[in-house]
Amino acid sequence: MPMVRRLRLAYAVEIALFLLPFAAFWILFRLGPVLYGFYISLFQWDLLGDVAFVGFGNYATLARDPRFWNALRTTLAFAAMAIPLIVGIGLALALFIFGVRRRPIGRWLEAGFFFPYLLTVSVVGLIWRWMMDPDFGILLIALRSAGLDAPSFLNEPRWVIPALALTTAWWLAGYRMVLFRAALEDIPDELYEAARLDGASGARIVVSIVLPLLRPAVLFALVLSTISGFIVFGQVLIMTAGGPGRASEVLALYLYRYGFEFLQMGLAAAVGVVLFAIILSLTLLSFRWLGYESHL
Amino acid sequence: MNGRSLWERALLVAMVVLALLWVAPLFWMFTTGVKPTPEIFATPPRLLPGAPTLNHVHVVLTRWPFLRWLFNSVVVATATTTLSVAVSIPAAYVFARLRWRGRDVLFLVFLSSMLIPLEVNVIPLYFLMNRLQLLNTYPAVVLPMIGMPIGIFLLRQFFVNIPSELDDAARVDGCGNLRILWHVILPLSRPAIAALVIYMFTFAWNEFFWSMIALSSPGMFTLPIGLRALQGAYDIDYGILMAGASLAALPALVLFLFLQQSIIRGITMTAHR
Repeated sequence: MPMVRRLRLAYAVEIALFLLPFAAFWILFRLGPVLYGFYISLFQWDLLGDVAFVGFGNYATLARDPRFWNALRTTLAFAAMAIPLIVGIGLALALFIFGVRRRPIGRWLEAGFFFPYLLTVSVVGLIWRWMMDPDFGILLIALRSAGLDAPSFLNEPRWVIPALALTTAWWLAGYRMVLFRAALEDIPDELYEAARLDGASGARIVVSIVLPLLRPAVLFALVLSTISGFIVFGQVLIMTAGGPGRASEVLALYLYRYGFEFLQMGLAAAVGVVLFAIILSLTLLSFRWLGYESHL
Repeated sequence: MNGRSLWERALLVAMVVLALLWVAPLFWMFTTGVKPTPEIFATPPRLLPGAPTLNHVHVVLTRWPFLRWLFNSVVVATATTTLSVAVSIPAAYVFARLRWRGRDVLFLVFLSSMLIPLEVNVIPLYFLMNRLQLLNTYPAVVLPMIGMPIGIFLLRQFFVNIPSELDDAARVDGCGNLRILWHVILPLSRPAIAALVIYMFTFAWNEFFWSMIALSSPGMFTLPIGLRALQGAYDIDYGILMAGASLAALPALVLFLFLQQSIIRGITMTAHR
């Protein structure tokens, strides 16, 4: 009996040791900061560096700050535009790339659409800022020479969010495309052949067979893109710095400014907690909605 | 020629055009970077540089620690990738190959932490790194990226599908878990590890928000943060900015040209969840 117990203990210790390296980093730098961030959000720093406990005062301040609500609104607007663009373009490209998978050129097309994903956000932001420059941007010049009345996107409150969303779609749609194409390859060939033998057209096959089977992959992509939509930062900072005015000041930028420009660490931490709460509730909702447990 | 193949051909041509438009911004970046300034702001715009020049490239390379930024990026991405793969392997092993109480719950806990983006943690991480006196060092950037659950997730998925007869045989020969992991599981898991390496390297190479906060002196900047500093200094001097962006994009482009298929395959593996 003691022998068995000793063996069991050895087994438990062994498992713990295998888990320890990962768990240590995870607790210190992932779970810990979430709790620590909540703790920080209960305090207020003044400009002299003195700290006072304010309870949920920072959250009340946020709720009263129109600038916070503006940031929430721009973030929602960005997410509402960027996510369907990324997922939609990714899906359309994947269907096409899958359609030409037997042609050698398919690989090159896929590579071309995918490559922007490997660029850092600064490069993406700089390129598109240059292309949308109000005076010399090639995109505006091209649109204008095609007879379209192109506004200078980045200087127009109405156009700045769509312009940022488009840029983000260029950057990330290729990644989604590759993932969707993989999901398409998981669909058994017999299904296509059977449909073809029944005389179904290409479009018909896509609508009645492919899209329903891709549903889980698409919904999953929507969840993940939603998270990245809510934490958008780099492209905004580089391309507009939140402007014109505050028309593109998203939550992450708001957090950054309050924390590191206005040195209101408590308030900034509260924004982080709010952001976390939004992401968590959105994800839990969509998990329930998707019946996600079955995917684990 | 029947209707279908004609239609297919038209679609193919349309997609080739779209693909060319898709990469056109890159072309525009590279050409702007080597145009003399008057050509950059010429109307109508010049598609190709008339008198290509390396002046802007020269400014970026000599007045700014650009190569140092490249070096910093390589150090950060390599350290992050190595460490996160190293800690994920044993954890994924016990989740995939051993049976113990609480396993599935703990896995779900780790997994759901995928919902915590680095971005929501920047304030507490700043306090933490400040207290550890690590701000403006490599560890400040690397440490928070190591415990990413995607690693365990991806590897576990792969480890689970390795036939258990293999470790049973090794166990009969008296191998412990460590040796089974090392001699049986790992040699069979190269594709999954390659996928994780690609994923983590890309992630670390591109990380922006936290790096910008954690790194304060120009000599410590990674490429994305250095480019941001260039922008701060030159605002709309697009020749210099595009030269900098081109130089920063070049390593990714070269690697991609050589490793195109393995990179895409690696990224694909992260989807099979």
